[in-house]
Amino acid sequence: MVRKEIKILNKYGLHTRPATALVTLVSKFKSDVFLEYNGVKVNAKSILGLLVLAVEPGANLIVEANGVDEQEAVDNLDRLAQQKFNLE
Amino acid sequence: MKTIKGIKISSGVVSGPIFNFERGKLTVPKHFIREADFDSELERFNTAIRKSKDELTQVRDLVHNHLDEDHAKIIEAQLLAVQDEEMITAVRELMVREKKNVTWAYFEVMDDYEKLLLKTFSQFFKERTADLKDIKKRVIYHLSHEKDIIQPEIIKPSIIVAEKMSPSDLMHIDHKLTLGIITRYGGVDSHAGILARAFRVPYISNINRIQEIVSYSEIILDADNETILLDITDDIKASYESRIQDFRRHRDNIISDKVANSTKDGVPYHIYLNAGFVDEVKAMDPALIQGIGLFRTEFLCIERNSIPDENVQFQAYKAVLEKMNDLPVVFRVYDFGRDKLLAMLDLEILQEDHVFDEWGGIGFLLDNPEILKAQLRAILRASAYGNTRIMLPLVMFVEEVVRTKEILETIKSELKREGLAFAENIELGAMIETSSVLEELDELAKYVDFFSIGTNDLALYLLGSGRMTDLTKNYYHPKMFRAIDKIIKAGNKAGIPVDVCGEMASDPYALIGLTAIGIRFISVSSSALAAISDEVSKIDVQQCGKLVNSILNADSAFTIYSHLKKFYHEQLE
Repeated sequence: MVRKEIKILNKYGLHTRPATALVTLVSKFKSDVFLEYNGVKVNAKSILGLLVLAVEPGANLIVEANGVDEQEAVDNLDRLAQQKFNLE
Repeated sequence: MKTIKGIKISSGVVSGPIFNFERGKLTVPKHFIREADFDSELERFNTAIRKSKDELTQVRDLVHNHLDEDHAKIIEAQLLAVQDEEMITAVRELMVREKKNVTWAYFEVMDDYEKLLLKTFSQFFKERTADLKDIKKRVIYHLSHEKDIIQPEIIKPSIIVAEKMSPSDLMHIDHKLTLGIITRYGGVDSHAGILARAFRVPYISNINRIQEIVSYSEIILDADNETILLDITDDIKASYESRIQDFRRHRDNIISDKVANSTKDGVPYHIYLNAGFVDEVKAMDPALIQGIGLFRTEFLCIERNSIPDENVQFQAYKAVLEKMNDLPVVFRVYDFGRDKLLAMLDLEILQEDHVFDEWGGIGFLLDNPEILKAQLRAILRASAYGNTRIMLPLVMFVEEVVRTKEILETIKSELKREGLAFAENIELGAMIETSSVLEELDELAKYVDFFSIGTNDLALYLLGSGRMTDLTKNYYHPKMFRAIDKIIKAGNKAGIPVDVCGEMASDPYALIGLTAIGIRFISVSSSALAAISDEVSKIDVQQCGKLVNSILNADSAFTIYSHLKKFYHEQLE
């Protein structure tokens, strides 16, 4: 299992478009990927789960991945978050 | 007694109780199921998810190619949400645990997500419930299709009061129980307006005091006089009774006599019908009418919030042709302006969007050949069952007609190879409704079998006004009559018929002007059919021909209006 803290830099937080980019990315990996925010843990492949987390701008999230490509999944997600999900 | 004034969208007068229509409020069939039904319920759910997924993929591509990237991404999010594994698991578990039918379980799970979003602190996330509503509506539509009909639960005949009414809202409410419609937003030429007229439902819009109306138990909606009467006494009700009865008879009785086929002085005249729904055509008696001059195929999409596949289209077109018993039916291929695309998709998220540049009609279809080909194949296959004509909307350039004809030829050879029947000689017409094509009429006439004038869009192009505003006054504009005169002359020169299928032909005064300058072929909606037929049978072409010069040389819409009105009241009443 790999865990890492990532920061959401997007102006409106993890709203529809960054969440879409996030789900699209992690769905490419075989590992189970979870996000934890304010004590709530959701499946990172579930867009509905991510949206109801309502992650605010500047928030820190814990990414947790379990599976054959766990390290790759976490690294890629971290990079995408740093690039503001290729938006803005 | 209190009265409120509004704008007439669809005529008629009714009295009745109020139904407060709230968008997105769905009635879900709730019942418990047996364990033996789990598999079939899940199968139903999977199918609904798959269909929604296919539709949203198509919608996303359309929006991506024709609207903008931002909206395409929002639809991409809907596409992910509709097949969200967590959500699907939750639905399955709820169904198994509480033995609720799958529609009910789905509705509850989605409702929970919605509630969680509303609890968040950011307005930004709260607003995303619009996405969830769109998704929910789409999936539930597929879950309910042909099984349980889901619509706002109108129990008794009522006047529907709403902020706004989208075409698909109107499609999914029970027309038999819809006495009338009152909305805050909506224009004469809005698509909901066209539908209301097709269903003969009185409709008044531009009412700001919606909330006040909702508090009354019974009201009178007098669309003819653009008035809503609140606080009605028995005396007032009694004074309206005969008009209300007359309207009810008119509404139930689409047309009782054969449509007129000549004027008072025996000049042959064609009056065809505009239609958009298979059910609307099925309600017609083919022995009384002459043909369908405009079948608006995009209404098939509005019913479904997506573009139906070739087979669904084929069945619909075939049903229309069979019902019409060899009377001509003019199928207009999809006319998706941006506004109509939005109307078709009926997405909450796209509702209050900016005004888009003009595009649509055949140009749009040629940019999306897969949509055009599926539709032309469906029409050609259906042509084996009746008298089929094809019409191209919003033609801007001759080139567009040439390319469409090439596609038609390719499809014909495909169908021959596949051994599928079709009619060999199908007439092809062009709608004349843009200013650019007015310059190419002679050239265009070489490639088509008829011209059909779309007066609504023509008025937009010539006079430039918004689709949501009242267009009726444009019908008397000298520019309109001069343009139509030009089209008639080009048609005569080429020896092809020219008809008017726009709303202008349903205007009693404008019809006199059209007849005066040489129109002998119109197509009108069913709500106007009886009155227009009556009017045509009373027109003396010889007499009305005398108006030609004063119409074509008029300096203002008001001058023309005055001439036509005077003629109408002197000669026809």
